[in-house]
Amino acid sequence: MKNRGKSVFIFLCVAPAVILFTIFMIIPTINIFKMSLYKWGGYSPNKTFVGFDNFEKLAQDMKFLQAFENTVLLIVIVSVITIAVALVFAAILTREKIVGQNFFRIVFYIPNILSIVIISAIFSAILDSKNGLLNSILALFRDKGSEPVYWLGDQKIVIFSIAMAMIWQAIGYYMVMYMASMASVPESVYESADIEGASRIRQFFSLTIPLIWTNIRTTLTFFIISSINLSFMLVKAMTSGGPDGSTEVFLSYMYKQAYTNSSYGYGMAIGVVVFLFSFALSGIVNLITKREPIEL
Amino acid sequence: MHKLPLKKIIIYLILGLLAISIIVPVGWVFIASIKKNNEFYGSPWRLPESFYFQNFMDAWGSAHMGEYMLNSVIVTVVALVILLVVALPAAYCLSRFKFRLRKILNILFMAGLFINVNYIVVPIFLMFIDADKVLKSWGLSPFFLNNIYVLALVYAATALPFTIYLLSGYFVTIPRTYEEAAYIDGSGYLRTMVKVILPMARPSIITVILFNFLSFWNEYIIAITVLTDPKGAKTLPVGLMNLMKAQNAAAQYGRMYAGLVLVMLPTLILYIIVQKKLTQGMTLGGLKE
Amino acid sequence: MKKFVSIFLVLALMISSFAGCAKKDETNTGANATPAATSEPAKEEATETPKPDVTIKVAAIETAYGADMWTKVCAAFTAKTGIKVELTTDKSLEDVIGAGMKAGDYPDVVHLATGRPAALTETLIKENGLEDITDVLSMTVPGEDKKVSDKIAGGFTESSLTNPYNDGKTYMAPMFYSPCGLFFNKGLFAEKGWTVPTTWDEMWELGDKAKADGIALFAYPTAGYFDAFFYALLYEVGGADFFQKATTYADGIWDTAEANKAFDIVEKLASYTEKSVPSNANNDNYLKNQQLILDNKALFMPNGTWVVGEMKDAPRADGFEWGFTALPAIAKGGDAYSYTWFEQLWVPAAAENKDAAKQFVAYMYSDEAAQIFAESGAIQPIVGFADKLEGDNKMFYSIYDNGAKAALGSFAATDPVEGVNFADTVFGTVNSLVSGDKTKAQWIELVKKDSDLLRAALKQ
Repeated sequence: MKNRGKSVFIFLCVAPAVILFTIFMIIPTINIFKMSLYKWGGYSPNKTFVGFDNFEKLAQDMKFLQAFENTVLLIVIVSVITIAVALVFAAILTREKIVGQNFFRIVFYIPNILSIVIISAIFSAILDSKNGLLNSILALFRDKGSEPVYWLGDQKIVIFSIAMAMIWQAIGYYMVMYMASMASVPESVYESADIEGASRIRQFFSLTIPLIWTNIRTTLTFFIISSINLSFMLVKAMTSGGPDGSTEVFLSYMYKQAYTNSSYGYGMAIGVVVFLFSFALSGIVNLITKREPIEL
Repeated sequence: MHKLPLKKIIIYLILGLLAISIIVPVGWVFIASIKKNNEFYGSPWRLPESFYFQNFMDAWGSAHMGEYMLNSVIVTVVALVILLVVALPAAYCLSRFKFRLRKILNILFMAGLFINVNYIVVPIFLMFIDADKVLKSWGLSPFFLNNIYVLALVYAATALPFTIYLLSGYFVTIPRTYEEAAYIDGSGYLRTMVKVILPMARPSIITVILFNFLSFWNEYIIAITVLTDPKGAKTLPVGLMNLMKAQNAAAQYGRMYAGLVLVMLPTLILYIIVQKKLTQGMTLGGLKE
Repeated sequence: MKKFVSIFLVLALMISSFAGCAKKDETNTGANATPAATSEPAKEEATETPKPDVTIKVAAIETAYGADMWTKVCAAFTAKTGIKVELTTDKSLEDVIGAGMKAGDYPDVVHLATGRPAALTETLIKENGLEDITDVLSMTVPGEDKKVSDKIAGGFTESSLTNPYNDGKTYMAPMFYSPCGLFFNKGLFAEKGWTVPTTWDEMWELGDKAKADGIALFAYPTAGYFDAFFYALLYEVGGADFFQKATTYADGIWDTAEANKAFDIVEKLASYTEKSVPSNANNDNYLKNQQLILDNKALFMPNGTWVVGEMKDAPRADGFEWGFTALPAIAKGGDAYSYTWFEQLWVPAAAENKDAAKQFVAYMYSDEAAQIFAESGAIQPIVGFADKLEGDNKMFYSIYDNGAKAALGSFAATDPVEGVNFADTVFGTVNSLVSGDKTKAQWIELVKKDSDLLRAALKQ
């Protein structure tokens, strides 16, 4: 009797989530996989089944490959720099005695609560080649009359400008996340390390990082997912993929194809690639970073 | 740390720089929102000539941001309520009970983390069209499109994987002894969950609320797709996008920045209120498979 | 799946009643409008048989001209014909009506030009979603006794911008034309004693002179603005015949001496372009590029007459005065061209009230409507109408009286080709020419490759 009650309870708890999840996420995803096999403009009723045609074209589409490259580049740069900076800051704010510790913690998180629209407005103003904050500061250190840096115009630089905005936005979020897990490391561990004479930097690398490794691993998956998403929104608002396609990323290219180039099926094929790619990449990263958990 | 003060100075310098890089631009948005339209040409860093509050009146009134703000509040609150009601029990069961489909469901929700809202939004939209057509053929009025409550439902549903993931990560850290004690006292499953476990999960719930509040409040891609009626309801970010569209039309910068401030303020306020609890709830162990 | 759907329906209904608010009454999508008569489009009778119980849905893009003129024109139309109008205007009309159209909810008349980033009109052309409105040309303008075809100025219904399939049938009505060319500061030229160049060689000479004064010769708002520029250039290098071949992707056309001349000019112009232009050449920051002209940082920019209204609040150099010229000619005595940009109005093939919609289209060419539009600065392509203009507009619209020839047309419509966006290839690459990331040869290669793909997909 008890078991039956338990089953009913579990069913009632889980069913609503499963139903909503199925309707709004699984079925649409299946639809995307289906539509990626069709040629369809988006408005007319004529959908033609073309098999894997869209995928074959994708493999030869230079612009898609550039978008692919840009996305991977952003994922790598943004995660590496953000993790490094966030870890260091988290360690400083949890381990060191800092006046205004709370203030810094609160302020660093603010970029994460801002809408992308606001972030892009801010960075457009910072990166402006003539009146931008960044170039005004740089000008203090450079010869008078030297060429300004075209943060959003130079095709070799612009993708890093996008990365800069993404890192700025993400540091606080991950810092708070790492702080949370660092706080759960018992103080006694550090005390014994102090007695042994290990430096703070040494402690950071051989104690803190191994101890919160599971947490860092988890955030890697977050990075992959959120970089794909965030890079799209920022690019859309800051450069529209330009100049000349140099900041095109996965989803911005997908939108262009699906909605402005009348190639909905082709766009959905890109969607499928993005889904499989992020899934596979997370799997690989998870495997590579697997370590035996440290037992205390 | 009684070593060189130089090290401390460097630390403060770096912390200070990052703090400035955040405070200055955000403050700049506030300042820009009281500038007159013609002050936006030229250097964006010049201080405003006067306090031009008319921008806010324009944004609030003629750009309907006031009305959109109310819609945004409704959508966000309803979505959060649905999300919590659905996700809390599910995350609880998925993390603490052993049952047949548990493993598959956990994997499914994990996979859900990789589904990007930006590309499933159109299939969802097409699904609503079909559903509305069915309703019409039954002689009912269309229901799914242009309905902010349906929008809230979509928000809640698409936030499920992440929320369940976050909550499960917290639930597994709660020792089982609490529940066992409750069962011995004769408490049922539901009662145990509501009275014993959920209060313990409060920090995690607050984190979930803040995260999802931010994403619902700032979301515009689903909103712009599902609220199709040009004269119908819109949410705040959609209204903001309208303000930003300057193509071939005279740009209203002051109004736009006033709109940005209107979008930003509630998130700032909520963040400041709950920021203390934020760190406690973010313990992510990762799901144990 | 079915089960899930029905569970969901129940769930959703419960939630909404729990919230105590089923959304306020939906706009009833034409359910109360009488279905369009199935008879042949009423031609001569059109104006004499108003259908007072019909409501048409008109959707119009709001541009620099503002939305007021549409409200007024729709009211005047209703007063004239008795047909009621439900008007929608928005600065980003695609977002507003696009979703509804996917849902099968089509406006009856849409005013939305080709060449916009969202390319909704292009999509409908590619998908055969436009109604043939050739018969409107032989209709009588409501309230007047002239035929529509007698009122529309010559040439406007003969290019691929109105007849996208090149089959002699008109699918889009020409609206609000505007000569495009190079805009400059007349005051600066007077102050420096420079004359406006009439040939490209004079242009380069002026460029060197200006460079010595720290002024760049050229700037552009976004690379997309090269469309009007490039079309006019194609006319200059090879005339109408060459233009026709180039815009229908004729085999080998990009290897000809004429094409090479055009590529050369753009390449050289890119080297004379203000270096910061690509940084701001996107939809959010292009005003900064236009500002270069007002600040005397660059001499010329390609643009349309709307730029005057667009920049009306912007600060400007002392003595600034708008000047406007056609493209310089290839050689002394050669033809100078100014591209005639115009917007388009069309009837979706899926519209419900096509007859009434066509009357609305015909009414656009009445003197009454043209007058209302003109008050907001929008000029209808009506015979003799430009003669009545005053002020800046008089200067702009008189460009063709002063020797410049009109260039009309655009790249032909094709079936969708995945991954190929020809405007991006031809115009967008200019950003890379300016920054030095691509060479002319690479540009031509890209153009040829996409041109080949599009030729294969040309509409029959």
